[in-house]
Amino acid sequence: MDLTIQNNEAKFLIRLADTSLILGQRLAEMCSNGPFLEEDIALSNISLDLFGRAEEMYKIICEIEGNGYTPDDLVFRRNEREYFNIKLVEQPNEDFAWVIARQFLHDIYSQEVYKQLLNSDNSEVVGLAQKVLKEIRYSYIHSKDWIERLGLGTEESNARMQKAIDHLLKYVEEIFAFDELDKTYLSDTDGVTTVWNNDVNATLAACNLQRKEIMPLTMRDYRDGFHSEHIGHLLSIMQYLPRAYPDAKW
Amino acid sequence: MESGDKVWEVFIQKKPGLAFKHAGSCHGYDKKMAIQNARDLYTRRGEGRALWVVPSEAIVSVPLDDSEAFFDPGVDKVYRHATFYKIPDGVDHL
Amino acid sequence: MDKFEKAFNDIIEKDLKVEPRDWMPEKYRKTLIRQVSQHAHSEIIGMQPEGNWLLRAPSLRSKQVLLAKIQDEAGHGLYLYSVAETLGITRQEMNAQLHSGKAKYSSIFNYPTLTWADMGAVGWLVDGAAIVNQVSLQRTSYGPYSRGMVRICKEESFHQRQGYEIMVQMAFGTPEQKEMAQDALNRFWEPALMMFGPHDADSAHSSQSMAWKIKRESNDHLRQRFIDRTVPQAEFLGLTVPDVNIKLNKETGHYDHSPFNWDEFWNVVNGNGPCNQERLDHHKKAHHDNTWVREAAAAFAAKTETIVA
Repeated sequence: MDLTIQNNEAKFLIRLADTSLILGQRLAEMCSNGPFLEEDIALSNISLDLFGRAEEMYKIICEIEGNGYTPDDLVFRRNEREYFNIKLVEQPNEDFAWVIARQFLHDIYSQEVYKQLLNSDNSEVVGLAQKVLKEIRYSYIHSKDWIERLGLGTEESNARMQKAIDHLLKYVEEIFAFDELDKTYLSDTDGVTTVWNNDVNATLAACNLQRKEIMPLTMRDYRDGFHSEHIGHLLSIMQYLPRAYPDAKW
Repeated sequence: MESGDKVWEVFIQKKPGLAFKHAGSCHGYDKKMAIQNARDLYTRRGEGRALWVVPSEAIVSVPLDDSEAFFDPGVDKVYRHATFYKIPDGVDHL
Repeated sequence: MDKFEKAFNDIIEKDLKVEPRDWMPEKYRKTLIRQVSQHAHSEIIGMQPEGNWLLRAPSLRSKQVLLAKIQDEAGHGLYLYSVAETLGITRQEMNAQLHSGKAKYSSIFNYPTLTWADMGAVGWLVDGAAIVNQVSLQRTSYGPYSRGMVRICKEESFHQRQGYEIMVQMAFGTPEQKEMAQDALNRFWEPALMMFGPHDADSAHSSQSMAWKIKRESNDHLRQRFIDRTVPQAEFLGLTVPDVNIKLNKETGHYDHSPFNWDEFWNVVNGNGPCNQERLDHHKKAHHDNTWVREAAAAFAAKTETIVA
């Protein structure tokens, strides 16, 4: 099964779809592991939004590619290097601060991306963006409220949140190294960077958290299918059944 | 025992124009968390368009011992109901 | 008998509902707290055997459905904890009772989920049995519990269908899938039937609960209803119910069955099932690892909330 994406727009969209899927999977890991039941439900809800978003995006991609493959093929049959999610979202759930920090850094980014997709020439993408923006807005409110609680809560919560932010910021730089595809399908890539930096800086400052100077990691671009080591483990769990029973229908 | 986790009463308005209806209670450490928890617990299936949460301890109710004194005197005032009055046949719109 | 006790007895006799602020016998309150908190804990511990397959769900659809289902279980646990809270026990106390082993939960969740077909069997049999019980409890005499059951039954209507859908896929799929489906049925059949509790004659709490209308139908009665519904569903799947004595009794109109292995049941109830330790440890770990989060939320609220407690 050759699942190489050919079309340029599909190549761009699959970055967004994969990012949603992998983050959804990470959040699903939190099911029955949250600080209390209400938060379990909240994270499951956001995870469901992300899976739904990924599925709709894969459908659009499959239509564009027109080779008869389904969203499930794309999810369960591609290998590590054929995945194009931002590395931020594959980072593990070290503790609840990581979950929240990762979500917040993602939400600001994706909120701006989907806003710009409202200007897309592809009406299906526009329709999806309209729906998705409401979900991201809610997720953003939720994650930002928690950044505040943890940043301003106790000494321990502040230290844990700071540690999570310090680690996760290392994976952010690649997001803003936009390539030609990004520039073709987003109306203002510089705007993504500016909006993201302004919001992160303001929020961290308001929550007694520092944005430290971070030396850029020597790291290859997610756009070329480069990852941290975490991705292989995530995929091997997620893809186990369809890989073990290739003839089965589920 | 952990402190800070409070109980809130949840009221949902199904659509504009309808009264808010008590749906149950939820937990939350602060107001924002309480309303988000209420949203996730009670409106996952599109049950509402507006939500209130009120700290449970703010609810005032009639003491059990006084309930007869509060409510029984309202039972026998039949003249407060439209059916108490006799109107001659042939008179409309009353 | 004082007027409050008389009022309580009237409510029970006339099939009305007891409300939180009504007078009620202390034993009625205690019985309800035990039953409702056990019901709530079952919903919450029940998230784990399904959560075991959540990350490995084999399609986008099944992944979303399973997550939504587990999320409902968390929600139903919360509804039930709220019901118990109206009886004068806090969530923290219930949590402590779960962790100390004082409070029980349904034994069925102490069995491992070994293959994806178990997601089918759990939805079909375990949720199916729970629904039979919960439908009956919609008529329970305690108002908040009754209303909670109405809400839960409405939301859970998709749970059993979700399970059966997986069973259909597996039973009519590849030979390997069908084998997994049969294996899941073999493992979950008897434990699911024992979810209804001991036989009426051996049930410690039953008669008083029936008199107070906390329970409306007996364990054996509900169990038989479930068996009668489920055997034809297994036949449709082309699967064999793992009981050679299952057959329709023309005289009674009900399916006969073999005696159950109550020794195993009590052994699992008493903590010696395959996953008792794991389920509780998982719950405790999530709770303790996140103590700092709850402390932070409390500290933040103390600094920022203006509502006077």
